[in-house]
Amino acid sequence: MSNQSAATQSSPPPAEAPAPMVRVQNLVKHFPKRGGILNQVIAKVHAVNDVSFQIRKGQTMGVVGESGCGKSTLGKCVIRLHEPTSGKVFIEGTDIGSISSHALRKIRSRMQMIFQDPNSSLNPRMTVEATLREVIKLHQVVPAGEVDAKINTLMTKVGLRLDDRKKYPHEFSGGQKQRVGIARALAVNPEFIIADEPVSALDVSIQAQVLNLLMDLKEELGLTILFVSHDLKVIDHFCDSMLVMYLGNIMEEMPCEDIHAHAKHPYTRALLASNPVMDPDHRAELTVLEGEVPSPYDPPAGCPFVTRCPIKTARCEQENPPLLDHGNGHRVACWEVKLQ
Amino acid sequence: MSMTDRFFKTREFRKLFRNKSAVIAMLVIAAYLFTALFVMCGGITRETCDTVVGQNKMPGFFIQQTPEQRYENATSKFLPMVQRALSRADQTAALADVRLGQERVVNKSAAQLQAIIDRAIELKNELNQSEDLDADSARLPQLKALEDQVAMLKAPLTGWSRLMQNASLVLGTDAQGRSIFLRGLYSIKIAIQIGLVTAAFCVLLGALLGAAAGYFGGWVDHGIVWVYTTFSSIPNLVLLVVLSYAFTDSEVKDTLLPVYIAFGATFWIGTCRVIRGETLKLKRMEYIQAAQTAGFSPFYILVRHVIPNTAHLMLINFSLLLIGAIKSEVILSFLGFGVKGQPSWGIMIRDAGNNGDVVSGFFWEIGTATALMFALVLAFNILSDALQDAFDPKHV
Repeated sequence: MSNQSAATQSSPPPAEAPAPMVRVQNLVKHFPKRGGILNQVIAKVHAVNDVSFQIRKGQTMGVVGESGCGKSTLGKCVIRLHEPTSGKVFIEGTDIGSISSHALRKIRSRMQMIFQDPNSSLNPRMTVEATLREVIKLHQVVPAGEVDAKINTLMTKVGLRLDDRKKYPHEFSGGQKQRVGIARALAVNPEFIIADEPVSALDVSIQAQVLNLLMDLKEELGLTILFVSHDLKVIDHFCDSMLVMYLGNIMEEMPCEDIHAHAKHPYTRALLASNPVMDPDHRAELTVLEGEVPSPYDPPAGCPFVTRCPIKTARCEQENPPLLDHGNGHRVACWEVKLQ
Repeated sequence: MSMTDRFFKTREFRKLFRNKSAVIAMLVIAAYLFTALFVMCGGITRETCDTVVGQNKMPGFFIQQTPEQRYENATSKFLPMVQRALSRADQTAALADVRLGQERVVNKSAAQLQAIIDRAIELKNELNQSEDLDADSARLPQLKALEDQVAMLKAPLTGWSRLMQNASLVLGTDAQGRSIFLRGLYSIKIAIQIGLVTAAFCVLLGALLGAAAGYFGGWVDHGIVWVYTTFSSIPNLVLLVVLSYAFTDSEVKDTLLPVYIAFGATFWIGTCRVIRGETLKLKRMEYIQAAQTAGFSPFYILVRHVIPNTAHLMLINFSLLLIGAIKSEVILSFLGFGVKGQPSWGIMIRDAGNNGDVVSGFFWEIGTATALMFALVLAFNILSDALQDAFDPKHV
């Protein structure tokens, strides 16, 4: 365990803190683009570039960034829906990349995923009951005689009525479907959950309900969560700390406490500035980013953000800044942000 | 509520049952299926279809024959059969074996039968001496008496056999004097049998291969696509001709096996393509990813989550393949490569043409075969259209 912690760039956790539930080490995911007569690889999408972070047990880590920055891919690589190009993912010390597919299927009960689109995340030909029953039976969560009771408990827990057991997905509203998706993720008693934009497809009023449900469940079950979202407000509301991603790279990692005061990276600051702020004390000057996100087929040579950065220097165009530890769980990848 | 109940009460099925023409088409198909089942249970046998029921080609319940034909009918078939049976050592068994279509020997003693035959032969000889046996001949009463004698040899027809006897003449007879009506009905069984077997086999094969190709991708996909591209380059007519020659002199040459092989080898390709495309789409759905995350095996996901969600396409393809197989069967039989040794619409159409009957106005044979085929194919076309309308999400 000790040599694994030393491999990461972040400072080792304080002695009294619990061990990391999830540790991601130098994760890289490239999607090849094939073409030509021989169907050879002609380009690569750099979806996730050398990403390392860890989540302690019971903590919630948010991942924020604009569309196409690789945040969903990161989540899917962590849970191994995508095979990473390189890098390692440890779940409580087990490297899930090195174990057999059979062992991986066993270990899957410890990590589950909540999906983005409630309309496509449930099999249209299966009732709620059948959906939950099949995962409970697969991992033998409870003895065969108690499966029905377990289904009832789960449905009550996520706020579904018990009469809805035999209903099909099309008979539910979006929020209810998302609750079924949450119940399915919780059915196998996981310790770690990846929530891939769980509320972005819902109405604002429903978003709050589902978020509150997730927070209650997190408290009650002591879940560790990787929460992917493009919405800074949701992340701020929900998470203990957050990763800011841009073009497949982590720009900044920081605790979610007074993010307006602490954000250091120009990209994070621009993201914050683009959000309407209700508090007049924090109203910042509006810095609108210019230009487009560079193509992930051909990212810039130096800092990925260099094409749009308001404070760039010559060095930024040559060298990619490392993610430096600023203490207190705060890491920033920028040449212009000085260590304090 | 049961699973099937749920399936049939979905929005799609409610939409299907609201479509009036679809309901009529389904009733027509049900009638055909019932007839096929009836034939399969022995209601109409191959022998019945090959039995000569009369020389008159015109439709109607009664045979209107010239006196020559009546004389021929009375003397040349049942009478000599009984005569021969009586002359044999195992008289009783031989008599029980005598059958002409639905007709059997009446339950009388050998002496009584011999007496009737003697009288009939007497009348026959008398008539034989006369030269002018035509419509206005004075000897017609004698002909009638001869016919009565022959009729006395036959057991009276009752119930079902009587109905069949009468029904066999409804649409007239073909050039060999066989009942067009019975042959047409028997062909329903052939058509439905070939259609159902081909469609069921091809849809299952196509769905399994298509889903596997789409879901697993990689070399599985490459392999399956290569196989179906290769197979689709073989015209199934040519394949059937080759198979037909290959099976000559083998014991399966009179069965439907060559037809099944030729259709089974080529008809699954369309379904396979469609299901593969649908699976490529479904694979991106989050519930498939959720099943992967839950730790289900790829095979389980394929069978439980992917294939059931292509059920609507399988249904539509089944009905399209059924029509395709029936039409191909008729064409092949017409060309002489399909069904052999039993009636089929294709054979009926060929016979009608070969004998020049159509030209001389006897269109009953070709008319019956085409009308029966037309109604079935039309009903299935309407049904598949309705299925497409009901199940294709783009048609909402």
